[in-house]
Amino acid sequence: MKKNKRFNRRDFIQSSIRASLVVSVGGIGGLALKNSTGRDWVWQIDPFECNQCGRCATECVRNPSAVKCVHAYDICGYCDLCGGYFIPGAVKLDTGAENQLCPTAALIRKFIEEPYFEYEIDEDLCIGCAKCVKGCTSFGNGSLHLQIRHDLCRNCNECSIARVCPSKAIKRVPSDTPYMIKGSFTKTTDT
Amino acid sequence: MSKRVKIVLFGILIILVQVAAAQQRFPKPEFETGYVQPSPTTPEPRGLAVEYMDVLVLLAVLSLATWFALRSRSRRGILWLSVFTLIYFGFYRKGCICSIGAIQNVALSLSDAAYNISITALAFFLLPLLYALFFGRTFCAGACPLGAIQDLLIIHPISLPPWLRKSAGIIPVVYLGLAILFAATGTEFIICRYDPFVGIFRLDAPYHMVVLGVAFLLLGMFVSRPYCRFFCPYGVLLNWMSRFSKWHLSITPSDCIKCKLCTSSCPFDAIDHPTEESAPPPGRTYYRRFILYSLLIPVWVLVGGFIASKSYTYLSRAHQDVYLSELLIHHPELVNDPDNLDIQAFLSSGKTLDTLVEDARVVQQKFRTGGWFMGGFIGLVIGITLLNQVVFRKRKDYQPNRGDCFSCGRCMDYCPVKN
Amino acid sequence: MKKSVIYIFLSLIVIIILIIVIGDFRSTRPDRMSGNPYKLNLDRIKSVDPNLVTYQETKNYRINARQAGGIAVAGEKIYLAADTFLQVFDYAGRQILKITLPEPAGCLEVSKQGDIIVGHRNAVALYSAAGEMKWRSEPLDERAVITALALKDGTIFAADAGNRAVHLYTAEGKYVDSFEGKTSIEGNHGFIVPSPYFDLGVNPDGELWVVNPGKLALENYTDEGNLRSYLENISPEIDGFSGCCNPAHIAIMADGSFLTSEKGVVRIKIYEPSGELSTVVALPDKFMEDGEAPDVAVDEEGIVYALDYDRNMIRIFEPK
Repeated sequence: MKKNKRFNRRDFIQSSIRASLVVSVGGIGGLALKNSTGRDWVWQIDPFECNQCGRCATECVRNPSAVKCVHAYDICGYCDLCGGYFIPGAVKLDTGAENQLCPTAALIRKFIEEPYFEYEIDEDLCIGCAKCVKGCTSFGNGSLHLQIRHDLCRNCNECSIARVCPSKAIKRVPSDTPYMIKGSFTKTTDT
Repeated sequence: MSKRVKIVLFGILIILVQVAAAQQRFPKPEFETGYVQPSPTTPEPRGLAVEYMDVLVLLAVLSLATWFALRSRSRRGILWLSVFTLIYFGFYRKGCICSIGAIQNVALSLSDAAYNISITALAFFLLPLLYALFFGRTFCAGACPLGAIQDLLIIHPISLPPWLRKSAGIIPVVYLGLAILFAATGTEFIICRYDPFVGIFRLDAPYHMVVLGVAFLLLGMFVSRPYCRFFCPYGVLLNWMSRFSKWHLSITPSDCIKCKLCTSSCPFDAIDHPTEESAPPPGRTYYRRFILYSLLIPVWVLVGGFIASKSYTYLSRAHQDVYLSELLIHHPELVNDPDNLDIQAFLSSGKTLDTLVEDARVVQQKFRTGGWFMGGFIGLVIGITLLNQVVFRKRKDYQPNRGDCFSCGRCMDYCPVKN
Repeated sequence: MKKSVIYIFLSLIVIIILIIVIGDFRSTRPDRMSGNPYKLNLDRIKSVDPNLVTYQETKNYRINARQAGGIAVAGEKIYLAADTFLQVFDYAGRQILKITLPEPAGCLEVSKQGDIIVGHRNAVALYSAAGEMKWRSEPLDERAVITALALKDGTIFAADAGNRAVHLYTAEGKYVDSFEGKTSIEGNHGFIVPSPYFDLGVNPDGELWVVNPGKLALENYTDEGNLRSYLENISPEIDGFSGCCNPAHIAIMADGSFLTSEKGVVRIKIYEPSGELSTVVALPDKFMEDGEAPDVAVDEEGIVYALDYDRNMIRIFEPK
């Protein structure tokens, strides 16, 4: 099995290039790994930065969107005249369709006791348009807010809503703290 | 800053955080009817353990594909493996996570210290490259769902003229360069955005994504694996690795009888013909040409880098901040357009135009520097491709082109030589 | 023949792919995206006859604070509580006094003698005109969130949004009593305070007026906490209040008129003592969208001082 000289030289070049490629691939991997925390990332909306532009309903790769309205009951005022439920200037404060703000009637109003009402979201109907969020944030306490629901989210490598989010409210968050529900995390004071 | 000032500042910060928290925890009404307040549900994302499962599946599929291509020489095995890949990584995992897109995660993690790449994405980036370094592009053969869906729908492959193949072969290089540049500058992930088959894998994707996928499949009926050959940026990396692979799929198990059957079996024009025995040894003109083309490579690199860097104003417009700042400068009247959500959001953010312009300038600067790398890289590839056209390599048999071969195993199946 | 058909077909597909990719890329540029199809239409509330506005902004002072608390005006001086500071300015915006408080203050009120009463989250404190602390009341319970103060002779009224109650203190800071606005009338629930906006004031006749934000009403109480009368006009039009918790802030003018400040659609208006809209001070276009309702104060001449939390400014509106 005697190889000729020329073949040997080629073989040598080949294996040295291969070795340097292994080193560089390993180097890239090592550099990237140095930064890694071993955690995974998921996408989430920072409700304090969201400006309710409506793109969550239209830009998600899923239809209906994986973004849904979430109700932070902790900070809800249980108002009769709910800015998130009623259109501005509703004729009567009842569950009539003409008085409701939600385009899909996904917000359910329940009487608890005088004068308090509970509002609940039917996620099957919610399309994440943020109309109620806008109403609630403008007129009420802001207890209604948008969140990415991780049972629906495809966790795309780059969120197609984040790409066009005008207030840059959609961020990567560690997968062990996948939600930013208002009232249960403290708003970071801005600089 | 003295320690005391720091402590005072920290104290103020704590107080402020408490104020913010107090605002949020405003006491709710006291209910008298025993109403129990529900709490919002938080469906968990896919667990980390399941993510690691994907890495294991990838490892298994890669190893099996390698075994089928190099040891058992079974085209049928590779075929069924690609069906599995299509179902698992394609339709079940919806095309996300994928090695092609992982390039961008690596690029972003190297450029942005705040972004920590997940182990899964890193493994998906590294494993196929390492396999290609030792066994050829077996990833393309059986472990890539994008390759699998195209491979299964090759109906009437036509052979493309070499000039077209070689020049279209530059597209993936440009695509790779742009993808890394865009990812590293935090602009966007174009590979994922224009992944043609994700629309098909997901079944509920937006209309244009499905159309894009169908268009590629229709193209692929005649031009086999069009995405892999003329677009896939990861293919560029695999191509290089595979050129220097230690082992590689071989067409015949023993001696080639030069029956040419394999060349018609390969839908990708990836089989090199043997050089003619009677060809004269390379002469003076050959060496002169070789030296000329080698010397031209640095010129290509410089020209490419120069052009790409100079076009930074154009390229950087892909970044939303740069685009928005230019829009506001050239069309200040848009400030009054209530339907322009981006401008309205910017105005209500309280940021001044100056800070936006400054942010945009930083991004543009990154594009300017990154442009040198990207253009230089593209120039280098063009130079080497041209040099390869004149390099004379003696081949005795019909051999797979190690760079272009996807290790799909069709040629093995066609080879009449059996052990 | 057949081959050329295939080539034409393939070229068409390549063109389609290019159109989709380029078209999609261009479609997400800020100037090519469509407006919000789910926009909450507030035009009906926002569109107001501009002739109703009889005030204009004449001055404004930037304040250096991270979290502004409240504002008061008395004796040609502006009093401001912000962060953990109490500051006094003259009308030219010059700082006369600045004292550090032990904790942040959310509201303040100034007596005729020039004493400054400061409302902390769960306590009330009195400072002399020179900035010296005279007394500090016993802290209230955990739920307390004091949002407003008012003075009448020897009594200090403190609105506690957390407990939905008005507390009474003596001029020496001794707690006297509380009332929750409940009456024997069927269906009267007392104060409904869904958020930390709960204001009150005493008019020149010595009547205590408390905002019932959940009812969008102004209620007049006796000093013992009995409801005497109320003013209510729930409407999205300019002359009414809408949303939750409005008016967020009030101040009572020298003639007993009410100066009101609303959140949601931020605006400042003045009502006659009878409850009819008398004039508009500022419309939403003067404030940040979805901004916080500014705290308001008014001097003897009817000049309005608004504390703009979003822009960190004291803004002064004078009659045209």
